[in-house]
Amino acid sequence: MSVNPEYRETRDSWLARRDPRWRLAAFAIAILGVAILRQPGPAAAALGVALAVTAVGQIPGRWYRARLGVLLLALLPFLIVVPFTVESGNRLWEWRFLHITDQGLWAALALAMKTVALVTLALTLLATAPLHVTLHAAARLGVPRLLVHLTLLTYRYTFVLLDELNRLRIAVRVRGFRNTMSGHAYRTVGQVTGTLLARGADRAERVAHAMRCRGFDGCFRSTTVVRTAPADVLMFALTVGIVGGLVAWDFSG
Amino acid sequence: MIDVRDLRFAYPDGRLALDGLTLHVTAGESVGLIGPNGAGKTTLFLCLCGVLPVKASAIDIAGLDPSDPRQRKELPRHVGVVFQDSDDQLFCSTVGEDVAFGPLNLKLPDDEVRRRVTEALGRVGMSGQEERVPLHLSGGEKRRAAIAGVLAMHPEILLLDEPSMFLDPRGRRELIGLINALPGTKLIASHDLALVRDTCSRVILMDAGRVVTEGKVELLRDAELMEGHGLEAV
Repeated sequence: MSVNPEYRETRDSWLARRDPRWRLAAFAIAILGVAILRQPGPAAAALGVALAVTAVGQIPGRWYRARLGVLLLALLPFLIVVPFTVESGNRLWEWRFLHITDQGLWAALALAMKTVALVTLALTLLATAPLHVTLHAAARLGVPRLLVHLTLLTYRYTFVLLDELNRLRIAVRVRGFRNTMSGHAYRTVGQVTGTLLARGADRAERVAHAMRCRGFDGCFRSTTVVRTAPADVLMFALTVGIVGGLVAWDFSG
Repeated sequence: MIDVRDLRFAYPDGRLALDGLTLHVTAGESVGLIGPNGAGKTTLFLCLCGVLPVKASAIDIAGLDPSDPRQRKELPRHVGVVFQDSDDQLFCSTVGEDVAFGPLNLKLPDDEVRRRVTEALGRVGMSGQEERVPLHLSGGEKRRAAIAGVLAMHPEILLLDEPSMFLDPRGRRELIGLINALPGTKLIASHDLALVRDTCSRVILMDAGRVVTEGKVELLRDAELMEGHGLEAV
């Protein structure tokens, strides 16, 4: 297994230039709206809109497909099981106690499209602004600042800890370690994990010292400047309109 | 500027890190603090900047006593610390945010914060790099960004802990130039005696939590003294 940390730069796009507060609010509404859809028709429309948004946001195709591939792999068992679990509708296939209904197939299809749409929206939100900008926007929208800054520190040091993990992996490999199913291998993995945790705790203490030495008083402050433009409001209104329409279609159908 | 009198500090496990340490640094001086691993250099720095508790009147730094909670709060305005590992110090998402961290904590107006960020990055040769993420910086750049974060607070005293650690020869050379260009009082803890020779006017040799001797940088040539304390003469 290789650990390859990735820290991606944001591409410039119309969506990336929007006020992060409005963008975050719009995406939050869109994600919530898509999450409550039940019918395949509105779910398909939501997926279409989500894909259009990736184009507006100029999301890197390879980056998006790689993440979507992982998601689809995780989703596959659920998609296989769902058609067998719905009782209503016409039975298309039957064998002893197993059966597939047309309603089950539609439910699986709706689930697949809805999930892909949700992940597409979440990835677009992540790809159109650096994480710290989105999180500062969240703080300005009322998300507790402590939570925001714990997330930021976790994100920042995830890469440093991954780097340390890589060094530890190399250190054990050059001394002949191979990850097999043996007691020795499990003990080594446990020791590496313990070392990593101990180093993480040490680092956390040193970071706290560094923060105190620069006058940290428990309150995080930011220099991020945000300004609302008419296009931000337009984007938000469009999102509310489209999501409202999809939800109304879904519940009326 | 820095007065330490009979300073003792023991860690919770009982290990005595500083054992009656006494030293004095005058305003504008650049002093090298040398000694082997475990001599107590980093512990001394943590005591000087108020992170570790000390007894009353053991330290007078920039006219402040770190043992007094009110005066300790004032310390970051006057004393800047650059830590051994720059990753410990660059905890914000971008270089600009990180350099602004200190001035924002001083509750300066936004315009003044931005001005200080630009000025500090300019002084360390990193102008226009506010948006870079610390993860993507080289070792030398991380060190310079960490120094910029401290300089932006306009401290009168700079404490640099092993500043040349993790730096390649080019980064080290650039750092020596940068340290020499920095104003104010500097206390530089290092094993890198060549760096101390090139940046300091006086050295203090520490071992086992005490000051062994002090004097001009020529002291660094005393092979017997240096080897006796786990160092190599330069």
